[in-house]
Amino acid sequence: MKRSFRKRSVTTFVLLSLILFVTVMASALVGSPGVDISFARVMGIIISGLPGVGKMLPDYSGTDVIIIRQIRLPRILLGVVAGIALSVSGTSMQGIFKNPMASPFILGISAGAAFGAAVSVTLGLGMYVLPAVAFASAMGTGLMVFGLGRIHGKTDVATLLLAGLAVNFLMQSLTAYLIYLSPPEKRTSIIFWMWGSFNGTVWKEFWIVLPVVVAGILIVYVFSRELNVLQLGDESALYLGVEVEKTKMILLGAASLLAAVVVSFTGIIGFVGLIIPHATRIITGPDHKKLIPAAAVIGGIFMVLCDTISRASGEIPIGIITGLFGAPFFIYLLLRSKGETGW
Amino acid sequence: MVNLEIKKMYAGYGRKHVLKNINMNVEHGDLLGVIGPNGCGKSTLIRAITGVVNSIRGDILLDGRSVREMGRKDIAKKAAVVPQNTFIGFPFTAWEVVLMGRNPYTGRFESLKEEDYERAHRAVKITGIEKLKERRVNTLSGGELQRVVIARAIAQDPKLLLLDEATAHLDIGHKIEAMDMIKKMNREEEVTVVSVHHNLDIAARYCDRLVLVDNGRIRTIGEPEEVLTPGHLRAVYGIEAEVHENPWDGTLYISPIDRKEIDRTYKKMIHVICGGGTGRKLLKTLVDKGYGVSAGVLNAMDTDMERAEFLDIDVVAEAPFSPIGKERERDNLRKIEEAETVILTDFPVGPGNLINLTAALEALRMGKRVILIEKKGIEVRDHTGGEATGLYKKMVENGVVVVTSVKEVVGMIA
Repeated sequence: MKRSFRKRSVTTFVLLSLILFVTVMASALVGSPGVDISFARVMGIIISGLPGVGKMLPDYSGTDVIIIRQIRLPRILLGVVAGIALSVSGTSMQGIFKNPMASPFILGISAGAAFGAAVSVTLGLGMYVLPAVAFASAMGTGLMVFGLGRIHGKTDVATLLLAGLAVNFLMQSLTAYLIYLSPPEKRTSIIFWMWGSFNGTVWKEFWIVLPVVVAGILIVYVFSRELNVLQLGDESALYLGVEVEKTKMILLGAASLLAAVVVSFTGIIGFVGLIIPHATRIITGPDHKKLIPAAAVIGGIFMVLCDTISRASGEIPIGIITGLFGAPFFIYLLLRSKGETGW
Repeated sequence: MVNLEIKKMYAGYGRKHVLKNINMNVEHGDLLGVIGPNGCGKSTLIRAITGVVNSIRGDILLDGRSVREMGRKDIAKKAAVVPQNTFIGFPFTAWEVVLMGRNPYTGRFESLKEEDYERAHRAVKITGIEKLKERRVNTLSGGELQRVVIARAIAQDPKLLLLDEATAHLDIGHKIEAMDMIKKMNREEEVTVVSVHHNLDIAARYCDRLVLVDNGRIRTIGEPEEVLTPGHLRAVYGIEAEVHENPWDGTLYISPIDRKEIDRTYKKMIHVICGGGTGRKLLKTLVDKGYGVSAGVLNAMDTDMERAEFLDIDVVAEAPFSPIGKERERDNLRKIEEAETVILTDFPVGPGNLINLTAALEALRMGKRVILIEKKGIEVRDHTGGEATGLYKKMVENGVVVVTSVKEVVGMIA
């Protein structure tokens, strides 16, 4: 029985990965209104661009090649990575806090990043400096909350939650104050940043984000059994041989890193990290060994879909899309699964 | 093999030490119960043994190794803990929870092995939760969940099982079932058990030894007979209690007594002639109403005798199962003389206690008021071949008052 169990979760994962692949390909077909490239040509451009394959096929040229290879692909792939990162981060946070209401931003990561971005814009720092400042501010905020949440050398979840709430409000107020002081054009760009966007993604950003996200996910996944045992309560977890303090610190760090690195490049994208873990739990159950991989892929799919809608709609910020389309879908899932999983 | 040694241990939270100067040894295969009032440090003792409290001094040795020098996984391989309550945040299945018991045996980059599934299966079987395996824990009742948690602890393969009031929330049936199971594990698999109990009867019934904790210190440690004494119970719990032996298996049980300040200036003296349990209710009622009560003649070990002793009643007692002798008869008559009223119950009369009827007749002749509570007629109670019936008739002639209930008596003597 346990074999079929394992097999089933592998099947789920393969199936989901396939859906992700199809979604990515389909998304590459969708462009800004007015730009229309045929299916065959899009596929040809992508395949011929793959390393090793390119030489065997006639090379494509023209503006559509640039559109596909330099504009759509990096954007879509960053979307995949961002979706995966936020979803895994949220799963991890919900596990640490033993609470389905926890999100990647519970330690003030998003508010910290926003403040960093607002400072960059206000000071007129360049577009390459902004992510660095946002990232530093996000991690700094996270560390501050973590420090406040520790009492007697123990990470107390309730205190951490409240500290996160307070610091979140503080950073939001500071950001709002900066917006209030800024001239209109800067005000607009801060606000747009805060709504999130994949518009204008370049490969370089993808290559910076990717290794951090891979590392973060591996760390979380390696601790998935500990995450399971933590659900019995800190004390029971200790009795079962888990180094609770160490585990929590590592997981909080990894989850915050995942959220921070994404958000500092894309702006704030809410909802994904809160809802995707939930939706996935309805499918896989709460075992983190199955939940984390599935949530990662579903997060990727969801993000690419949302970004595709954003692109097709003339760049409505993605932070708006995720909630607008995600919430009704989630409500549908909730109503369908009522009483079955307990959440 | 586990041998738990605690030496000069102080343990608690922050700066406050809940436990002070604890010294005790638990031998391999022991079944030790920890008892004591709320807040005395029982649970802290369990936490201290597994190194979970944050402030600790002194030594705790598991098989000769100091707990403080052991990693969490090493501790978890030796000792499993079943807490009083477990709240599980996400809807895992019962089977998934049992499998978590194998965490100490699984390395960071390993997954569960064949042996882990076997041990978990065995734990499910021992606890009899086969039917619950695929259920989600949030759909289980408190008792079912607790059995799942016990199964998880057993899956841990502990040499030392620590129970922190693990059966407190179970109904009496499940409580007995769980404790039977734990005792079986203790006996058959030589798992050493240390269990905290609020219920003294359960503690006395299942544990080989008890340790009584009072205000953070060990008051006494030993066999139930040595620990559960009225004196200890009074000193630690502040209760008056009788300790009885369960006639089935000789284990002890506790009956707390309601000993309101008994008014020793009695309203009236009443002498009761009873036997064979016919006087139980009457004796208690009279004492409660504040009468000075004497009784006799009763044989030692008679049900009424036990009740009378329990109520601190002045009894004229004869040796067990012996006919009442001359001497006791005289004592009895003296008590009758002191009493204002004599009350007679409808006890069966045989040659051995016929003399009690003679005494009642004598009371009437002395001019005492004698009341007979009679539900069964003398014909069925007379095992003397008519002698008793003869005496009964004489009593009636001499003006005995016959009633049918204790209530009526109370009305008459008031």
